[in-house]
Amino acid sequence: MGRRSFFLRLASRLEGPQTLGRGWRFWVGAAVVLALASAYPLVTDSYTVGNTVYFFNWVFMALGLCVIWGYGGALSFGQTAFFGIAGYAYGVITLNWGADYGLTLWATLAAVALSAIVAAVLGYFLFFGRISGVFLGIVTLAVTLVLERFMAQTAGPEWHIGAARLNGFNGMNGMPNLTVPWPGDNDPLVLAPDLPLYYFVLALLVIIYLALRILVNSSFGNVLVAIRENSERATMLGYDVRKYQLAAFVIGSSLAGLSGVLYTTWGQYITPSSMGITAAALPIVWVAVGGRSDLTATLLGTILLIGGFQALTVYGSQYALVVMGLLLVVTVLLAPEGLILALAYLPQRVFRRGARDPA
Amino acid sequence: MMTFTAQAADPIKLGVLEDQSGDFALATIGKVHGIQLAADEINKAGGIAGRPLELVIYDTQSDNTRFQEFMRRVLQKDKVDAVFAGFSSASREAYRPIVDQLNGFAFYNNQYEGGVCDAHMIVTGAVPEQQFSTLIPWMMEKFGKKVYTIAADYNFGQISAEWVRNIVKQNGGEMVGEEFIPLGVSQFASTIQNIQKAKPDILITLLVGTAQSSYYEQAAAANLHIPMGSSVNVGQAYEHKRFKPPSLANMYVTTNWIEEVDDQKSKDFVAKWHKMFPNEPYINQEAENSYLAVYLYKEMVERAKGSTKRDDLRKIVDMGDVCFDAPEGKVCIDPKSQHMSHTIYLAKVNDDHSISFPKVWEDIKPYWLGEAGCDLTKKNPNAQYTPSNPPPKG
Amino acid sequence: MFDAIVGFLYQFGDASAFLVLCASGLAIIFGMMGVINLAHGEFIMAGAYMTVTVAKLGAPLPLAIVCGALFAGLIGILLERFVIRHLYGRPLDTIVATWGISLIASQGTLILLGPSLADISTPLGSVQIGSLSYSVYRFVLMATAAAILAGLYLLFNFTRFGVLARATIQVPHMAEALGVNTRFIYSLTFGIGAALAGATGGLYAPTMTLVPTMGAQFITEAFVTVVTGGGDVFVGTAPAGVILGFIRAAMTTWEGQLAGQIGLLIAVIIVIRVLPRGISGLILRERT
Repeated sequence: MGRRSFFLRLASRLEGPQTLGRGWRFWVGAAVVLALASAYPLVTDSYTVGNTVYFFNWVFMALGLCVIWGYGGALSFGQTAFFGIAGYAYGVITLNWGADYGLTLWATLAAVALSAIVAAVLGYFLFFGRISGVFLGIVTLAVTLVLERFMAQTAGPEWHIGAARLNGFNGMNGMPNLTVPWPGDNDPLVLAPDLPLYYFVLALLVIIYLALRILVNSSFGNVLVAIRENSERATMLGYDVRKYQLAAFVIGSSLAGLSGVLYTTWGQYITPSSMGITAAALPIVWVAVGGRSDLTATLLGTILLIGGFQALTVYGSQYALVVMGLLLVVTVLLAPEGLILALAYLPQRVFRRGARDPA
Repeated sequence: MMTFTAQAADPIKLGVLEDQSGDFALATIGKVHGIQLAADEINKAGGIAGRPLELVIYDTQSDNTRFQEFMRRVLQKDKVDAVFAGFSSASREAYRPIVDQLNGFAFYNNQYEGGVCDAHMIVTGAVPEQQFSTLIPWMMEKFGKKVYTIAADYNFGQISAEWVRNIVKQNGGEMVGEEFIPLGVSQFASTIQNIQKAKPDILITLLVGTAQSSYYEQAAAANLHIPMGSSVNVGQAYEHKRFKPPSLANMYVTTNWIEEVDDQKSKDFVAKWHKMFPNEPYINQEAENSYLAVYLYKEMVERAKGSTKRDDLRKIVDMGDVCFDAPEGKVCIDPKSQHMSHTIYLAKVNDDHSISFPKVWEDIKPYWLGEAGCDLTKKNPNAQYTPSNPPPKG
Repeated sequence: MFDAIVGFLYQFGDASAFLVLCASGLAIIFGMMGVINLAHGEFIMAGAYMTVTVAKLGAPLPLAIVCGALFAGLIGILLERFVIRHLYGRPLDTIVATWGISLIASQGTLILLGPSLADISTPLGSVQIGSLSYSVYRFVLMATAAAILAGLYLLFNFTRFGVLARATIQVPHMAEALGVNTRFIYSLTFGIGAALAGATGGLYAPTMTLVPTMGAQFITEAFVTVVTGGGDVFVGTAPAGVILGFIRAAMTTWEGQLAGQIGLLIAVIIVIRVLPRGISGLILRERT
């Protein structure tokens, strides 16, 4: 009955009915992928490393939406709102107080915490008002657009928080990269978009992925899925649906905030367009096409999609957007549960085995 | 991604990051064509310092994140020598940190609100002091002293409106109203009523984006016929070709060049453009800027004895006489701000939407940044300033 | 004072007409059929483009608008047959599919027809009321919005088709059991929704810039109006359009265009918070 059993209990939750992939085959495969991901940047050029970090930055937002929508059943168009709030918060804090003494890391925490607080307030308003379904989507979209419209006109000099000018539509730039203070008299390690930042974000990604797996396979996750399937039944079984949805919303929105901070430090730039209607639709597209009901599917699907869309834009010139549109339509028609999940179930379908993994 | 090769010697690579799809494509497709035309001419004449010019073109889809992605790609992977990038100010501010971080060299070939004091950038676009110091006094003398401004509600619109306000006051006029309109708004009933109530002599319109340009049609339908002045419409998104006459009649625009300019040099330029791009809907001022910017770059590199290193090129710029005989006239780069002087044409839109040029100003310098305290020959603050947020003194 | 009142009433009518017209097609496709159509803006664009093309060939504007509406309706029927049909009952999947269609349509139009289309001018000139002049055509738009609502009401409540359509959408199996050709009804209803969007495009075409991305100027307003209204077209979308139009006009008159936009969005948030099933949810519940 000590710490050992607590960690064993946690570890046992890494697998469960709510996530795809179990057994030693899956975990060995995952370890191999992780090893490849860790070794890959050492053999490629600086651009690919920085670009891959850029893809990783968006995954947190997608994972957050997976929790809110895929597991909780609540369609939120608001991920980009929290992305923006956290990004601007990081910018304001670091532009005012600089990057010394590890302040950038504290700023990251503070920005994500701010997203969480705003999400809690908004979530309370939404879920305790019993708003659901498509109404939830529209209200979260409206919130995102209000933020975007408001921020876009803050161009004048009177719009500033301390030394940080909000700068309206042009966006705020010049905030410092993440820096990790180094012990002793050495210079702090500046996480520019290159190897150090890559490993930092990769580590974050692994930690958060595993933590989310534990979360959704726990009783919390089970209740969340029950609410998604039939919320009246869940209520009748005695669960306060609103609290669970609120918790999922706060967690998911905080992850969107984390994405926001990482994007802002990667590019040293944040703009209201990150909260516009096209930006708001993107996470939904990634998650829906990747496979919203499962974390691993979302993770892989998002990276594939972002990379794929970028490659299309580079090599496809004008036709890129047309091909993207076609891809989305075809995916929805042929693989509605998401591309990754369809691929995962393909062997079963092709060889007509009975289902071993629950959907 | 398209490339454009000529001879076999080690090419000079020019990255081109422009929006060829999305909201801004209307005004920016011509920019890519301008660069392609210039590159083609230069390569036929032997290249730059004997080396062919190769273009690496990406479509940034009117999306700031694409600018960030591709600026990184073009500098780190394609390893270009210089980049021509950006239309909206937001896209420029998105890529500037990356250019600074990776020590690149970028040309911004667009008119904008002014104020970028950054050694990594050459700005060939027109800035407010060039366009308004010419337009406003001329219009006030002709039409009267009461001015109403409608402007897009973001940096460019707000700062341009600030310039208008200052110049109107300096010339003894009166601002009878100012209205800021969020981007994307396309219904102007209230604005039209406000203007009618204020009864101005001149209406300055600083509307940006295809949605906001619907104003002209709606105002004409409501029988609003006040003389209009603008620094941005007509020259950039050719509203006079897209809207039916006479919705833009009686409009005066100060632009550094548009395809209707009728001297022989311009006509030749338009003719050779149409030979290469017969379906071009309109050759706007940004397209001409992009064309001449390639030649400016050529001049810099050749005077630096073929070196494309940014510091060598900046030494040439600092000498203060990097100039080119462009279709608009002679243009030169100002070493203090790394912006460009312009010939300013006053374009009048007639009732049938044809253009006449009541006045032309030559060699209008981008004086504000230098006077305000930005001196890139001495130091590089990497920042953007505005009249109410000028460079710190000393 | 007189000017101020007339001015405000004009803005109110104008804003409401815009919202009602934007939303009418979507109210049918989304409100009645449950398809979240993110390509709604592209139907509007299709109608606008066809209207302008036909009008430039010399046809009178009303005929051109009808052509635009029919064109959009036809595209809607084709889309329903090949894509949407498979997605009934899966509203969240319709988001992805229609977003994809929206990308294809707007980019495809850019590639095929270039970045813009030359406009036609607004007909009917202007009229002077008090000391301000107003565009007569905008009054026509207001009247048309009201007429469309009335027409839809009559269509769906008093014609055989309307009754069949409502039955099919509410209880499809029962309708099939009674011998209704449900596939045909679905197609036709979706087509009507698309045609209404096309008509909106055609009606506004003389007053706006014609670019492939013009749908973006309508889509937010359309969605918030439909959802605030709730599921029903007449008891929901119509009052929503009027109420939101009033708020928008009031905020714009008071504080300018930014306040109007933000005010509209905040009103939507508040209305949905107070009435989680939209306006029609309130009214219909009170009836039973």
